[in-house]
Amino acid sequence: MIFGGSGDLAQRKLIPALYNLALQRLLPATFSVVGTARKPLSHEEYREELHKAVAQYSRTRPLNEEVWRSFAEHLHFVATSDDAGYDELRRTLEQLDFALGTHANRLFYLATPPPAYKAIVEAIGEHRLRGETGWARIVVEKPFGHDRASALELNEIVHTVFREDEVFRIDHYLGKETVQNILVMRFSNGIFEPIWNRQYVDHVQITVAETIGVGERAGYYEQAGAMRDIVQNHLLQLLALVSMEPPAAFDDKAVRDEKVKVMRALRRIEGEDLSLNAVRGQYARGFIEGMPVPGYREEPGVATDSRTETYVALKLWVDNWRWEGIPFYVRTGKRLPKQSTEIAIQFRVAPHQLFSRDALAGLEPNALVLRIQPDEGISLRFGAKVPVQGIRIRAVNMDFDYGASFMVDAPDAYETLILDALRGDATLFTRHDEVDQQWAFVDPIIKGWASSDSAEGPAVYEAGTWGPAEADTLIERDGRKWRKA
Amino acid sequence: MAEGVVIDPTFWGTRQSGVAALERELTRLRRAQSAHARELGRPIARASVLNLIVYAEREEHARRAARSIADLALRHPSRAIVVVADRGAREGIEKRIEMHCRLPIADGARLVCYEQILVRARGDVDDRLASAVIPLLVPDLPVFLWWTGTPPLGSRSFGDLLRLTDRLVVDSADFARPEVTLPVIARISDEARGRFGLTDLNWTRLTPWREIATAFFDVPAWRLFLDGITGVSVGFAVDMDGRDIHPSQALLFVGWLASRLGWRPLEALAPSEAGGLLFAIARPDGARIMVRVRPRFERGLDEGDVSGIRIKATAARQLAEFAVKRQPDPRHQTATVLLDGERRWERTMPLPSPAIVELIGEELSILGSDRTYEKALDTLVELA
Repeated sequence: MIFGGSGDLAQRKLIPALYNLALQRLLPATFSVVGTARKPLSHEEYREELHKAVAQYSRTRPLNEEVWRSFAEHLHFVATSDDAGYDELRRTLEQLDFALGTHANRLFYLATPPPAYKAIVEAIGEHRLRGETGWARIVVEKPFGHDRASALELNEIVHTVFREDEVFRIDHYLGKETVQNILVMRFSNGIFEPIWNRQYVDHVQITVAETIGVGERAGYYEQAGAMRDIVQNHLLQLLALVSMEPPAAFDDKAVRDEKVKVMRALRRIEGEDLSLNAVRGQYARGFIEGMPVPGYREEPGVATDSRTETYVALKLWVDNWRWEGIPFYVRTGKRLPKQSTEIAIQFRVAPHQLFSRDALAGLEPNALVLRIQPDEGISLRFGAKVPVQGIRIRAVNMDFDYGASFMVDAPDAYETLILDALRGDATLFTRHDEVDQQWAFVDPIIKGWASSDSAEGPAVYEAGTWGPAEADTLIERDGRKWRKA
Repeated sequence: MAEGVVIDPTFWGTRQSGVAALERELTRLRRAQSAHARELGRPIARASVLNLIVYAEREEHARRAARSIADLALRHPSRAIVVVADRGAREGIEKRIEMHCRLPIADGARLVCYEQILVRARGDVDDRLASAVIPLLVPDLPVFLWWTGTPPLGSRSFGDLLRLTDRLVVDSADFARPEVTLPVIARISDEARGRFGLTDLNWTRLTPWREIATAFFDVPAWRLFLDGITGVSVGFAVDMDGRDIHPSQALLFVGWLASRLGWRPLEALAPSEAGGLLFAIARPDGARIMVRVRPRFERGLDEGDVSGIRIKATAARQLAEFAVKRQPDPRHQTATVLLDGERRWERTMPLPSPAIVELIGEELSILGSDRTYEKALDTLVELA
C-alpha cells in the first residue's frame, strides 16, 4: 500500500526499488502493490506511468521487459479522494487477499507530503484497512514532525492505529550500504574499536554536502531549512553510528538503545553557546561545475527576504566517558562545490617526533575517512617516506574502494529498507525515542536562531564555495581546519 | 584555441556531461582494469598520492604537460587535472567548460594507472573556472598547481585555485618579466603564511651551478676568499638575434649568493649592453662588489640557461678567480680556479640538463616551502 502512489518519491525511489527487488527474486510470490492518490487513474494508466518512471530511474538499466510485465500485473491503483475511495481500497485489498491466498499481511507506506499523514492514518483506522489476520506495519517518511511537540503529536496519532513495533520511521541514509558498513567496520574488526575514543581521536568531522539547490522543493524547504532537512535526521544518524557504544546484539532493540543513549549524551546548544558553536548560511548566486546558478532568495517560491538556512555548521560534544572533550564538527549545505557525504576520524599526532621540521612538512595527522557517497569506500591517511635520498614525509591515502573491490553495485537504500520492513526488521529504522531526542537537540538551535536576539540572519556564502567564512572561524578557532572534501 | 578545434578523444578520453558522470566513468574504468588485473592474479592499485592541476592556455602546452605527467606517473601517480583555458574574452563565444577523462596505464606490467582529466574552457570563464576544478580534486591529497606561462596576478581563477593549493609550481623561464612577477608571487606565498609553497623550475635548473659554486669554498685553502669577493659575472644564453632576453635564472643565482653571504644592495639594477645588467652590491664589510649579468649566444642551450659564472676575490694578498663554464657540447661543465693568474685546479664534470619531467618530479616530492629560494627571491626584490 503506497499512499502518494503516483508521487515523486514513489516514481523515483519506491517503485524502482520494488522492481529491482523483483529482478533479484527477493519479493514473495504473492506480492502486490496498491498505489493510491487523490487523482483518479486506471490500473493501466498507473502501470504505464510507473513503467516510464522505472525506465528512467531504475539503477539497473535497460529495463527487463519480461520481469516488468509480470511485476506490473501486481500493480493496482485506487483513488482515495473521499470515504468511498477508502472503502474501495478496503475491497481491493480483500479481493487481493482472497485471490492470492495471502493472510492480509499489509505494509502501509506514507509517501505523501507530511500534512496528509494525519488524515491517512485516521482513515486506515476508520476504514479498517488493517487486515483481520496478518501483520500490519506502517512506513513513515521523514520529516517526522517539524519539532519535538509535533513529532510527539504525530506519534500519538500513529499509535492510535499501530503499535510502536509496527511503526517504521524511515531515514533512507540508514539503508545505504556504507552507512551500515560503519557498524560492520567498527564492530566486526578488532583493530578499530580500541582506538575509537578520546585517547586516540583528536576530533571527528562529518560532512553532508550537496551541489543541488532548493529546486522544486522551495515550499517545503522554506519551512524546514537545512537544520530540519538534513541535520535532525541524516546528520545525527551518522553521528550516532560513529559515536555509539557497541550494542550487545545486532537487533532492533540493542542497536537503537545505544543510538538513543548517544543522542541523550549530545550536549544541547543553547543561549550563549549558540553563536560560538553553530553557524548558519544561505547561498548567494555563484557557479556550480562552471555553470551559473541563482542565489537562494532568487529561487522560485522563496521569499526575497528569506532567512531560511541552506547551510549549517555545528561543533558538538558527546558528553560521555568515550568522547569527553572530543569535538565533533559537522556541516551540511546546498550548493556546495561537490556532492559528498563522509565521516572523518582524525587521530592525534604522534607523541614524539623523531624527524626534522623540513622532513615533516608534508605530514598530516592520521585520518580514517568513511565515504558514504559518491564513490563509497574507506581510506586511511598516514605518513610515508617519499622515495628520495634522506627523509621526507608525505601524507598518502590507503584506499578501499567499495565498487572496485566487490565488483557489484550496492543495492539502493530503499531496496534494503523496504525488504527489511517486509521482513519486520526495524534495526535500520528510527524509533520514537530517537526522533524525540533528535528534536530535543535541534529545537533549541532553531528557536535560538528565530529569536529576536539573533537578528542578523544566516551568513551569506557564494554558491560553489564551502560555506560562509564564519564556518571556517568555527573550526579554526580551535586550531583545526575543515578537511578538503 | 580556435573555435571548432576538436579535442582528440584517444588522447584526452571521452567527453563527460559533468562531475558525477566523470567520476562514474573513472570508477567504471578502474573496475575494468581491476578485473583485468585479477585475471592475471595481481591486484591493481588505485594509485594516487597527489592532485596535480596543470594550467595551460594552449592545447599543445597541455599535451606536453600531459606527457610529462605520464612519465611521472610511476614516481608520482596522481589525479591530473589539465586545464586548458582560452583567457581571451572574445565577443560571441559561448562561455563553456567541458570535461574529458581517461585512465592511462603507467607501467608495462599494467599494475599502476593514474587518472587524467581534461577541463577545457572557452570564452572568459575567469569567474567560474575554479568551480569546475574544485569538485574534481581527490579529498585529502596535497594539491600541486603547475601554472605554465606567467600567472595572471589579480585574476579570480588564479586566486581561487591558489587557495586550494599546497604548492605552486611555475617556471620563471617562461615569464615575460620575472623580476616583476616572481617577487609578487613570493609575497602572496608569504602572506598566505606558508599555506602554500612556491617552486620555480628555473631554480631547480640552477642546482648544479649552486652545487659547484659551494664546492669551491668547501676547500679549506680557498674558504677565506668567500669574504673577499670583489666581482661576480654570470652569463646566460640568448638566441642568435638576441631578441628573447630571459635573465631570471642568472639573477636567481646572484640573489642566492647575495642572500647567503649577507650582501646588501647599493644601487638599483641598471640595464647594460645588449640586455645585460651591471650593478654594485655591498659586502657585509662595506666593500663594493661589481655584478655583471650578460647575455651570450650559445648553441644548444635554451634561452635563459646559465652558460657560465665567474667569481673574483682577494684574500691574503692573493687574487683568485673561480670560474665555471659550460662546454660547447653542452653536457659538461668545467670548473677552474686561478690564483694570481695561475691555474691551480681544473675539473670537467657532467652537467645534468634535466628534462622538465625530472624537474617536476623532483619538485613534487617536496611539500614544504624552499626557504633558500625564498630568501634569494627576497634579496632580488631588494635589488630591483
